[in-house]
Amino acid sequence: MILYGIRRLALAVPLLLGMSVLIFALMRLVPGDPAVAVLGYKATPEGIAALREAFHLDEPVPQQYLRWLSAAARGDLGHDFRQNEPIGRMVLDRLPVTLELTALATLCVALIGLPLGLLAGGRRGGGADRVALAVGLVGVSLPDFWLGIMLILGLSLGLGLLPSGGWVPFAESPVDNLVHLALPALTLAVSRAAVLGRLTRAAVLDTMHRGFVQYARAKGLGERAILFRHVLPNAAIPIVTVLGLQVGYMLGGAIVVEMIFTLPGLGRLTLDAVLERNYPVVQSAVLVIGAMFMLVNLVTDVLYGAIDPRMRRR
Amino acid sequence: MWRAIRGALPARHRGVTVAGLCVVGALVLLAALAALVPGSPTEIARDLALRPPTWDQPFGMDDLGRSMLSRVVHAYRVSLGVALGSVGLALLAGVPLGLVAGYAEGALDQLIMRPLDVLMAFPAILLAIALMSVFGTGVVLVALSLAVVYTPIVARVVRAAVLAVKVEVYVDGARALGAPVLRVVLRHILPNAATPILVQASVLMAIAILVEASLSFLGVGVRPPTPSLGLMLADGRGFMVQAPWMVVFPGLAIMAAVLGFNMVADGLRDWLDPQQAAGR
Repeated sequence: MILYGIRRLALAVPLLLGMSVLIFALMRLVPGDPAVAVLGYKATPEGIAALREAFHLDEPVPQQYLRWLSAAARGDLGHDFRQNEPIGRMVLDRLPVTLELTALATLCVALIGLPLGLLAGGRRGGGADRVALAVGLVGVSLPDFWLGIMLILGLSLGLGLLPSGGWVPFAESPVDNLVHLALPALTLAVSRAAVLGRLTRAAVLDTMHRGFVQYARAKGLGERAILFRHVLPNAAIPIVTVLGLQVGYMLGGAIVVEMIFTLPGLGRLTLDAVLERNYPVVQSAVLVIGAMFMLVNLVTDVLYGAIDPRMRRR
Repeated sequence: MWRAIRGALPARHRGVTVAGLCVVGALVLLAALAALVPGSPTEIARDLALRPPTWDQPFGMDDLGRSMLSRVVHAYRVSLGVALGSVGLALLAGVPLGLVAGYAEGALDQLIMRPLDVLMAFPAILLAIALMSVFGTGVVLVALSLAVVYTPIVARVVRAAVLAVKVEVYVDGARALGAPVLRVVLRHILPNAATPILVQASVLMAIAILVEASLSFLGVGVRPPTPSLGLMLADGRGFMVQAPWMVVFPGLAIMAAVLGFNMVADGLRDWLDPQQAAGR
């Protein structure tokens, strides 16, 4: 098991290197001189020269890449073009917001998606199945940013139940923190919960046909016991995989949700940097989110191996 | 067309597929006939600003007095155009890559698939944002970025399908008869691997509409004044209390299009893949 985990981890290293090369190359494809792009119309030749000097823009590109990579490996993501702040600090400041949002949303996904799928799959073709199927189809088609706006319109501005945005650190007031994250987490979760629900249903129906389920039924076990003791554990592999994938996608979805609910997270940092053409920050933030995405997929793979020993041999 | 579908689909899946095709067809028709819809998508009429929905303008007017209905219909042109363009380009690039990787295996396979893995290692929307930030905004660039994001997905699906098909007896048979490689791949392998590609393409169409809207909403997609559903939502946010129609209708419009393509994908999958259908 440990060996399997190490092997997966070893495969992740070249992938991460590839990702860093891609992002770095992409940022060097920005048309024009980044120094001019940053300084804009206020650019003076001296200013441009100073900026080029400070950010080593005069070095050959491969050398710039190695400089960035070796610093990043030591945890130093460099300084941003605008305020000259350390990017590592900016990322660390924003990280907890995104992590908490994603964690809460994952909880929502599991709490909505699993019962939806079990309800539908437990009695195929019944009323609950039809409703769950329709809910699932509409759910996966729901644009999350629109859902966010509608929730703000209905629950915050309309009924005044929950705040429409903003952020309170958990350490300051745990209750306020959760109240502020309720709508964003729900917004992020709904369409992913629909995906999980649809897949859980398919996995449950698939397992229902197996011989051991028929045996359990022949033995006289109740439907509930069959569903929870025999079907669910065996349907767990696809369910865990999809849940893991959804967690990864939520890291991307967080960009939109953080923007709507004005949460100071990593996605917001990335978007602001993109809009301000603050390329060093874009470069690092994209790499950090990409690495997190990869890590989530890695953990999913390892979990997969933990649930199903057959997977470890591959 | 209807008869062909009726003959081919078991009754259980027919409803969803046909409904999906109807939705998609209606939207394509609307987009094609956008010019006939009363009102202009760009003409500003200050005196009509924020006028609520009426009989002749059922979606109301936006903050500049432009017809929301006309804007939604014109925005469909952008949505569908981006979806079609990006998926088309991704197929054009991804199908040959997947075919070669799957058929050759070994070193060539690694050479093609490893770099594509790197592209797939990012969340799709993040990669699209990064691409847009570098190359600028606009309809064509949105379609191009999405094509870059989609190509590895298509290549992977094609490769998996090829790996499954190429061990079939009829492929060996064609080879034994001395058919050249190109003929074996194009005449015998590709048609039999088409099913998952078709399903994937309709799923990608649905996602493309969502991602285009998201990018435009975030300000890194389509540029104003081109009407885009995402841009309309971004504009409408500032007026959502006085003029909820400015955010309700563009969102419903996105959902209708995505739902249509998802229904088509679902129906196709059930029809073409009976084993999966038994499970869903």
